[in-house]
Amino acid sequence: MSFFGFEQNNDLENEKRRFLEGGLSGAKQEDVAVYTWGEESYDGLGDALQEGGDELNDETFGAAEDIGKDFDFSGTALPEHQRAAPHQPAQPPERGSSQQQTSQTSQRASHLEPSHSSQLDAIWGNKSPFSVLPRSNGSSRTVDQLATQSPKYTHKPSSLNLGPDLHKGVHTLEEIEKEMLAAAAAQQRRQQQQVDEHSVQQELQEMQLQEHMLHQQHQLATPGLLQSPTRAHAQRPPAAAAAAVGIQNTATPPPRMHPHSQSPRFHQQQQQHQIHLLQMQQQQQQQQRQLLELQEQRERQQRQQLLQLQEQLKLEELERQQQLRLQQQQLQEQQYIQNHLLHQRGISPALSDLHHRGMSPAMGERARRVGRQSPAIMSPQGTLDVPFAQNMQYLPQNIQMQQRLLAEMAQAEFLSTMQGPGHSERDLREARELQEMLRVEAMRKIMEAERMEEKRKRKLDKIAHMSRYNDLMTQSDKDFITRIQVSQLVTQDPYADDFYAQVYGAILRSRMGIATSEDRVLRFGSGGGVGLGLAQKVHGRRQGAMQRMEAQVERIVNNARLREKEKTSLNNLQGALGRTSGRSYKAAPRQLLQVDTSNVSTSPTTSHATAAHISKADSTKQEGEGAAREAAKMGREALATATEGLVRKDPLTHREALVKLEHLYDLVLDVEQRRRDQPPLEEVEEFEHWTVECNAIIDQIFDELMVSVPLETSHPHPFVSLITPIKGKKLLPRVARIFELQRMQVLLTLIVACFLQLDVVRQAPLLDSLEETREVKDLEVQTQAFQNSVVQSILPVIAKAQMRLVIGLFGILLDECTVHSIAMTRVSRTPGIALLTLFLSRVEVLRHNVATGSEVEELPTAEEMQRWHMMYNLLFDMIRPNLQLLFPSVRLALQANTSFVNIPNADVIDQPVWQFLATLAVHANEEQQQALVGGLREIVLENVATATKGWGNDSEERRRLRLANVNIFLHALGLDSSQITL
Amino acid sequence: MLIFSVFKTLTDQTVSVELKNDLSITGTLKSVDQFLNIRLDNIKVLDEGRHPHMMAVKNCFIRGSVVRYVQLPAEHVDTQLLEDATRRETAATKR
Repeated sequence: MSFFGFEQNNDLENEKRRFLEGGLSGAKQEDVAVYTWGEESYDGLGDALQEGGDELNDETFGAAEDIGKDFDFSGTALPEHQRAAPHQPAQPPERGSSQQQTSQTSQRASHLEPSHSSQLDAIWGNKSPFSVLPRSNGSSRTVDQLATQSPKYTHKPSSLNLGPDLHKGVHTLEEIEKEMLAAAAAQQRRQQQQVDEHSVQQELQEMQLQEHMLHQQHQLATPGLLQSPTRAHAQRPPAAAAAAVGIQNTATPPPRMHPHSQSPRFHQQQQQHQIHLLQMQQQQQQQQRQLLELQEQRERQQRQQLLQLQEQLKLEELERQQQLRLQQQQLQEQQYIQNHLLHQRGISPALSDLHHRGMSPAMGERARRVGRQSPAIMSPQGTLDVPFAQNMQYLPQNIQMQQRLLAEMAQAEFLSTMQGPGHSERDLREARELQEMLRVEAMRKIMEAERMEEKRKRKLDKIAHMSRYNDLMTQSDKDFITRIQVSQLVTQDPYADDFYAQVYGAILRSRMGIATSEDRVLRFGSGGGVGLGLAQKVHGRRQGAMQRMEAQVERIVNNARLREKEKTSLNNLQGALGRTSGRSYKAAPRQLLQVDTSNVSTSPTTSHATAAHISKADSTKQEGEGAAREAAKMGREALATATEGLVRKDPLTHREALVKLEHLYDLVLDVEQRRRDQPPLEEVEEFEHWTVECNAIIDQIFDELMVSVPLETSHPHPFVSLITPIKGKKLLPRVARIFELQRMQVLLTLIVACFLQLDVVRQAPLLDSLEETREVKDLEVQTQAFQNSVVQSILPVIAKAQMRLVIGLFGILLDECTVHSIAMTRVSRTPGIALLTLFLSRVEVLRHNVATGSEVEELPTAEEMQRWHMMYNLLFDMIRPNLQLLFPSVRLALQANTSFVNIPNADVIDQPVWQFLATLAVHANEEQQQALVGGLREIVLENVATATKGWGNDSEERRRLRLANVNIFLHALGLDSSQITL
Repeated sequence: MLIFSVFKTLTDQTVSVELKNDLSITGTLKSVDQFLNIRLDNIKVLDEGRHPHMMAVKNCFIRGSVVRYVQLPAEHVDTQLLEDATRRETAATKR
C-alpha cells in the first residue's frame, strides 16, 4: 500500500495478495502456518479451534442451522477470546514477528514440501463455488476491470482464470475435476511466480483503483457529469470488498476487546456487517451441503478427498472468521486507543517516526513490522471503511475525508502498539467522549459534504431542466419583440423627450471632468431617435445590440413612411372602377409608430393628429385672447402713465407671482434651448434670424421681470414679489446669464432700491432666535437661497460697477436707512451686511486703482471720492453705537441670556460680520479705527482668549476658525491676534 | 417619457417602491422600461414580519401598474433640472 510507502517490502504483502487472488490457494501455506504457530507468539488460538478429528464433520457439514456461537461477532459471548485474553498480555509487539514467521515458514513450505502440492493444486485450480465465495463480494470485478484496463496482464492469470469463470455460475464436479487435473502440473510449477506476479498485479490494481477514484473525484468536481455519483457508487464496493478480504488475510490481533467503547451507532454498523457476513456464510454452507449431496451420489471414491478438502476449507473459514472477528475487535480497540492518544498528545504523522527513532533498534524493527502488518495501516481506507460502507453513500468527498480520518486512526493505532495496553477507567471515559466528539465531527463533515453535493446536483438539475426551453425563440422572434419595444421609445425629438437624462448626464459628466458635449441620443437619418439616458459602461455586447436596434428602428421608420405614401397613392385611385385592393383590411391594427408624418405627407393621417391639431388651434386661440387682454391692459397702463405718471396697483399675489414666474421660466428655457441650437456664424441669414428671435425673447423676459416698472407702482414692488419665492430667487442667476450688463445694472439698482422690501431683509430679525419654528427654518432657507442666487448674480455686476454707480446705490441704501429708523437694524442683518461688504470692497478696489493708476478707464473723480467719504461717515455713525450687535452670535446670546461664545456655530455665522468690519476698518480714518477697536475690544479679547487658551470644549478646528475671524478684522487695522497679550 | 428619463438616471441607485398592495420594497434599481416596470436587486421588504414570504426573495420585477410611489434618493435627483424638464414637457404638450 503506497499510503505509507511500504510497498517495497513485498513478502508480507505478497502473502496477502496471494491469498486474495487465489482464494483458497493459500490453504497449504495456511495450514502450515497455522500449525507452526508456536514458539513465543502463540496466542492459544490453536487450542480454541476445533480441529484434528473428523468426528465432528457431521456436525460441521451436516447441520448448518446449528452454527453455534462461532459466528457471533457481536462480542457478547466469545469464549475463545475470553480464554485467550489472559494468555496474551504482551501480544501487540509480537504479533508482527509471529506473522512474519508464519509467512516465512509458509514460503519455505511451498518450496520444500512438494508432497502437499497435489492437494494445493486442487485448491489452487479449484473453480468450485467455495473458491469463489470469499471473493463473491465484488473482488472479482476488480480483476475484470484490470483485465480490460491493462492488456499486459490479461494473459497471465490463465491458471487462475477467475474472471470469466465467475460468471458461469456453479460448475459441475466433472468440470472441476478436469480442470483441476489439467491445471495441477502447471500450477505447481508456476505457483510461486504467479504469487509474486499477482501481488504486483494486485498492487497495481489497487493503485489504479485509487487513481480511478481520484479521477472520479475530479470529474465530480467539474459540473456536467451528472451520473458520476452513481458511477462512484458502483465503483466503490470492489474497493471495500477488497479491503474486506484484506482483513481476512492479516495477522491475528490480540483479543483485547472493549465493545462498550464504541458508540451504539458504530456498533450497529459493525453488527450489520457481521450479519451480512453471517448470511454469506450460511449461504455458503448451504451450497456446500448441496454439493456434498451431489458428490455422495456420484463419486464415492472421491468423497474422502473432498471431505478432506471441505474440512480444510471449513477450518480455514473458521480461522478466517476468527481472524475477522479479532480484526474487528482490534479496530474498535484502535479507535479507542487512538482517541486516548488524541486526548493525550494529539496525532501528528511525524510522531510515529519520532517513536521509531526513540526506540531501540530491535524494538523499532519490530514496531515497523507491526506497523506494516497492522491492517489499518496496510489498507487504512478499506479496513475502516467497512463499517461506514454499509449504509453510506459513496460520495467522493466523504471517501476522501474518511481516508484522512482513518489514516489518522491507523497512525494512532500504531502508536498504541508502542504504548501497550492498560488504561484506567477514567481514560476510557475520556476516550469515549473524545471518540464521540470525533464521530460527531466526522458525521457533521460528511453531512456537510452531502449537502453541498446535493445542492450542486439540484442546481445542475435545474439548469438541465431549464435548458429544455433553450432556443425556443429564433433570432427573428427576438428581433421582432425588440422592434416592438424600441418602437415605443422612438420619438421625433429624442433630446427633448429625454431632456432630464440628457442634461443630468451632461452635468454629471462635466462634474466628473469628462468633456463630451455630445448628446447621448441615437438619431436616425430619417428623423426620430431614441434617448439613451446616462452614459453607461458600454460592453461589446451592448454596443452590438445598439447597432442592431438602430438598424431595426431605421427599418421600421422607413416602412412606416413607405406605407403612408402607399396609402396616399391609393387614395388617388378613388373613383376608379372595379375593386381596388386597398389596405383597409390592415387599417384596423394600431400603427406601430405614431411619428408625426406631417413633414412627409401633408394630409392629416390619423385621428390622433387631427385631435392634436384642433387642441393646438384652441390653445393658440386662447393664448391670443390672453395676449390681447394683456395688451389692452398694458395700453391702458401706458396711457395712465402718460397722463398721471403712475398707476397704483395692488402688489402681485403669491399666485400671480408664481404664474408669472412659470412663464418666465418657459421663456428662459426657450432661450437656453435656442442658445444650444445656435446656428454656425457662416450661415449669416440664419444666424441673424436666430439672434433676432433670441433678443426678442430676452426683451420679453426683461419686460416680464417688471424691472422697469416704476418703484411706486406697488409695495412691495412687483419684481420683489417675483423674487420672493425660492423659485424666483433661483431664476435670477439664469437670467443674469442671458442679460447684458446694462440690464443687470438696472436690476441691481432695483434690488438695492427695494432692498427693505425684500422678504429676507424684512423678516431678518426673526433669525435672532434659537427657537426652531417653521418660520425661522423657512427664512433660513430663503436667506440661503438669496445669498446663493441673488447675491451671487449681482456680485459680478458690482465687481464691474463704476464709482458713480456704487456711490449712487450706496446713497439709495443709506437714504432708506435714514428715513426709516428701524431700517438699520434690518440692513445690518446677513443680506444687508453682504451687500454693504460688496460695496465697500468694490470702493476699496477702485481706490487702489486710483493709487496705482491702473488701466481702469473711468477712474473715480475727486468729487466722487468726497461724496463717498461723506456717505461712509454717515454709515459709520449709524453702525457705531451697536457695533457688537452686528454679530449674530451676540444677538442670539442676548436673547438666550448667555455669553456669545456659548452660541453653537457662532464662528460660522459671525464670519461675514468680521469680513464686513474688516472692509469698514480699511476705509476708516484713525479716529474711526479707534472707535472700532474700542467698540469691539471686548469681543476680540474674548475670542482670542477662548481660541488660544482653549476654554470650553471647543474643537481645534473651531478655535482656528475663531482666530482667523478675529485676524481678518485685525489685519485690516494692521494688527494681529498674536500681538494681543492677555 | 419624463419620468422614464428620470429613472434612467437612477439605475444602480437604491430606491423604495411602494406598491398598491401596501408592500414597500427597497432595493437597487436595475432597470426601468417605458411602462415604468421596475427591476430591483438586493431587495428588502419594509415590514418583514408581515411579509415573511418575501424574505427569501432577492430580486424582483415589478409591473409598473402596481406601483403607488417610488421613493427616490434625493441626492441623485436634480430638482431644478426636473422642474425644467416638466416645464419643457408641459410646453411641448401645450404646443
